[in-house]
Amino acid sequence: MLALQTWIVHALFIFFTTESVGELLDPCGYIKPESPVVQLGSNFTAVCVLKEKCMDYFHVNASYIFWKTNHLTVPKEQYTIINRTASSVTFTDTSLLNTQLTCNIRTFGQIDQNVYGIRIISGLPPEKPKNLSCIVNEGKKMMCQWDPGRETYLETNFTLKSEWATEKFADCKTKRDTPTSCTVDYSPVYFVNIEVWVEAENALGKVTSNHINFDPVDKVKPNPPHNLSVSNSEELSSILKLTWINSSIQGFIRLKYNIQYRTRDSSIWSQIPPEDTASTRSSFTVQDLKPFTEYVFRIRCMKEDGKGFWSDWSEEASGITYEDRPSKAPSFWYKIEPSHTHGYRSVQLIWKTLPPFEANGKILDYEVTLTRWKSRLQNYTVNDTKWTVNITNDRYIATLTARNLVGKSDAAVLTIPAYDFQGNLAESKCYLITVTPIYADGPGSPESIKAYLKQAPPSKGPTVRTKKVGKNEAVLEWDQLPVDVQNGFIRNYTIFYRTIIGNETAVNVDSSHTEYTLSSLTSDTLYMVRMAAYTDEGGKDGPEFTFTTPKFAQGEIEAIVVPVCLAFLLTTLLGVLFCFNKRDLIKKHIWPNVPDPSKSLIAQWSPHTPPRHNFNSKDQMYSDGNFTDVSVVEIEAANDKKPFPEDLKSLDLFKKEKVSTEGHSSGIGGSSCMSSSRPSISSSDENESAQNTSGTVQYSTVVHSGYRHQVPSVQVFSRSESTQPLLDSEERPEDLQLLDNTDSSVGNFPRQQYFKQNCSQRETSPDSSHSERSKQVSSVSEEEFVRLKQQISGISQPYGSGQMKMFQEISVADAFGPRTEGQVERLETVGMEAAVDEGMPKSYLPQTVRRGGYMPQ
Amino acid sequence: MKVLAAGVVPLLLVLHWKHGAGSPLPITPVNATCATRHPCHSNLMNQIRNQLAQLNGSANALFILYYTAQGEPFPNNLDKLCGPNVTDFPPFHANGTERTRLVELYRLIAYLGASLGNITRDQKVLNPNALSLHSKLNATADIMRGLLSNVLCRLCNKYHVAHVDVAYGPDTSGKDVFQKKKLGCQLLGKYKQVIAVVAQAF
Repeated sequence: MLALQTWIVHALFIFFTTESVGELLDPCGYIKPESPVVQLGSNFTAVCVLKEKCMDYFHVNASYIFWKTNHLTVPKEQYTIINRTASSVTFTDTSLLNTQLTCNIRTFGQIDQNVYGIRIISGLPPEKPKNLSCIVNEGKKMMCQWDPGRETYLETNFTLKSEWATEKFADCKTKRDTPTSCTVDYSPVYFVNIEVWVEAENALGKVTSNHINFDPVDKVKPNPPHNLSVSNSEELSSILKLTWINSSIQGFIRLKYNIQYRTRDSSIWSQIPPEDTASTRSSFTVQDLKPFTEYVFRIRCMKEDGKGFWSDWSEEASGITYEDRPSKAPSFWYKIEPSHTHGYRSVQLIWKTLPPFEANGKILDYEVTLTRWKSRLQNYTVNDTKWTVNITNDRYIATLTARNLVGKSDAAVLTIPAYDFQGNLAESKCYLITVTPIYADGPGSPESIKAYLKQAPPSKGPTVRTKKVGKNEAVLEWDQLPVDVQNGFIRNYTIFYRTIIGNETAVNVDSSHTEYTLSSLTSDTLYMVRMAAYTDEGGKDGPEFTFTTPKFAQGEIEAIVVPVCLAFLLTTLLGVLFCFNKRDLIKKHIWPNVPDPSKSLIAQWSPHTPPRHNFNSKDQMYSDGNFTDVSVVEIEAANDKKPFPEDLKSLDLFKKEKVSTEGHSSGIGGSSCMSSSRPSISSSDENESAQNTSGTVQYSTVVHSGYRHQVPSVQVFSRSESTQPLLDSEERPEDLQLLDNTDSSVGNFPRQQYFKQNCSQRETSPDSSHSERSKQVSSVSEEEFVRLKQQISGISQPYGSGQMKMFQEISVADAFGPRTEGQVERLETVGMEAAVDEGMPKSYLPQTVRRGGYMPQ
Repeated sequence: MKVLAAGVVPLLLVLHWKHGAGSPLPITPVNATCATRHPCHSNLMNQIRNQLAQLNGSANALFILYYTAQGEPFPNNLDKLCGPNVTDFPPFHANGTERTRLVELYRLIAYLGASLGNITRDQKVLNPNALSLHSKLNATADIMRGLLSNVLCRLCNKYHVAHVDVAYGPDTSGKDVFQKKKLGCQLLGKYKQVIAVVAQAF
């Protein structure tokens, strides 16, 4: 069509042009391109070329050319003179879909001549087709459809291509009226994967959709099941059995179904649960249906695995469920007509026909029974819905049942009162009056109302009680009055409450309530409350009830006590922490160390000091294995003096004595790793004293009064460097250490560190040389001393017997080996404790120790 | 359907029959490779089983439809006229390896497809009104064509078998009407018998 238009336009221009010059089919020029198709929005350039013959004839050249689009002259700014014969025109951003472009010349200065004309077609290239999908209607050819994308404004051809892996099928060309779908020519072959795609092509380009690969059996839309029939069952009135014939595709694929049903007069379909019809079948029994009801069914199917499409619905089929006995008795009533015969009356019984959903079948007849007081039952069968009978004036019981093919309904019972029945109504009694309307086809639904002949105040008032009592409120509750004591309609309640001294307050409460909350009460107060119920005729008070509001609201006490307890606990904790941190300071002021006079340097200085301890007990202690606690005094060497020979001599002496002093630590003052009296190894501190003070000895005489009234065996001389009374000098461990260190002749040795590291190790390795020990010149602070004691006491406990065994293997010679520091110190401690035991003056003033010198005492 | 029959049967004849020559011929050129137009589907064996079941399910109906359409004496003389006495029928060994079975299946289906093409051609002439039979023959031929595609895919993909030599039955074009009908009936009887065994083997 496009080409045809172009051709016509072309021909017309040629005709007119040639006619003007008198020559047929010989235009004066031509335009290139001849039949352009331009993409919308793009640039386009056309060139008009004049023939020489024309130019000579009309005396024109390319500058005489002007362009027209749809008969409108194009501005000269868009022209370009290429040469003498050719002129071009350029259009930017072409937006017109169909443009007629002509090349013209002005001849003789005034006559416009068309030289040539073309038609510019604009449009867009095709978009990639999307959403390609195919369907195989059973028994028909495969049909595929797709979304072609945007409008191209051009003639666009869509071709559906398909192939197996091994061969290609013929292309499917779309028809003009259905450019977005195509039905292939070949029959579908199931269970072979086929690849399908679409090619879209127009003058501006060609594009291909995504390929889809599928098995046609997964795109199948089966034919619906046919010959659907419905049958009922005489055994069960609630079922219907459906049967149908599946489509032929069922021969090689499995199917699932949807079955829908509705009653004949309904328009809403119910569906059988799909899981019940999820496999191939040709019949299905529908259950839970109503008896004697006509149902309409329809069915559809699809591939069992859900791939493909549901078939159309089958033709509908209907069936009626079998009858069942009537599910309900008919409603019936009576009319008593005036009797003409004395003693008899005419009673007409009338009833309604049962609706179909209660009749459950065709009602064949009704059975009426009449029973007079203490007489025999009489049966009557009636086909109508009313029946008249003459009965006596006695009271009768009438029953009615409906009967269908299957059975009878339950019986409806009606009492026909005796003729002389009269109501004897009393005042203040509640009566329930029921009115049943009687229509032409039977009684309607009854309406009831309560009524009093005459009301009176209640016989009793309501009993009120508390449901919940708070600090400032109380929830009251009460029971509705029994009907017997109401004597009328209770209109409202009044609650009266008061304190012992206060005025009574009244509150009105609606009669529908059984609970009320009294607010703004005073705490810790006794309240008296009573309640009255009122009818239209008056009221009656109930018994009085007393209650006391609590002093504190719930949780109030807890809110006070808990923070106080927490504060107390916090204070206590802080106090303990403070004491713990400052325990040394506290101990110093409250529980100072008490020096042991027996370990006084003076007492130990004398080489003739007899052993004061029970050596046998030491041995025993060793054997008991309790040697775990150690008394330690740390001393740092004050100078590097080496021991004098006499010191070494006395050292040997103490090697022997050491054995006897080991394990004799008294526990006073807590100045040891272990404050108990358990045995410990002690090296001879006396020995050290003897060694270290040989150069500058100051002697003093210590007169023992005996320990606990014991007479000392010898007079003991001791040596002291202190300028203070001896016992004062032993008040503080550091003083003692200073004293000891003054005697030391060995320089700095990391003994302190060694002790800190392992107290027990020191004990298990008593081979530390005494000389090393004596080299230490320390100024141990009290703090370090305490820390060391802690370490020792802490370490000594867990080791237990294992540690003990090691100690038992220690020889005496080893005890004076390279590491005897611990032993020496223990001896010092023992000496201090002994001093206390001997009742020496309790002077704990700190003393000044002057090294290298002494003062006589 | 006519278009399909007109297109498929000659195609089969061209591909497999080659003017009815009875000697085995390669179905692909000697230098053919296993290149396919697009990758084969992974579920080929399952599809082959379904196709065989489809053929097996319709074989007896086709046989009945055929001899019924031929009229007497065929329906009452099935043993004599339609017995499975087909010479040169490709063997099939159900206990072979999958590769062997697939190769034999390919030969078998190629043979049956070509024979079915002959029968269809003959029946259109002999019983032009037996449309149901024509339709059934065409449908069976289509299934066989799809089965050949799947078997070829499987042989190529898994066993790299690029071509299989196949043999075809005798050309019936020169035979008389009764012989054409009889040969067709025998072939369909044999087909019904064999396809049951083959379907069971896969």
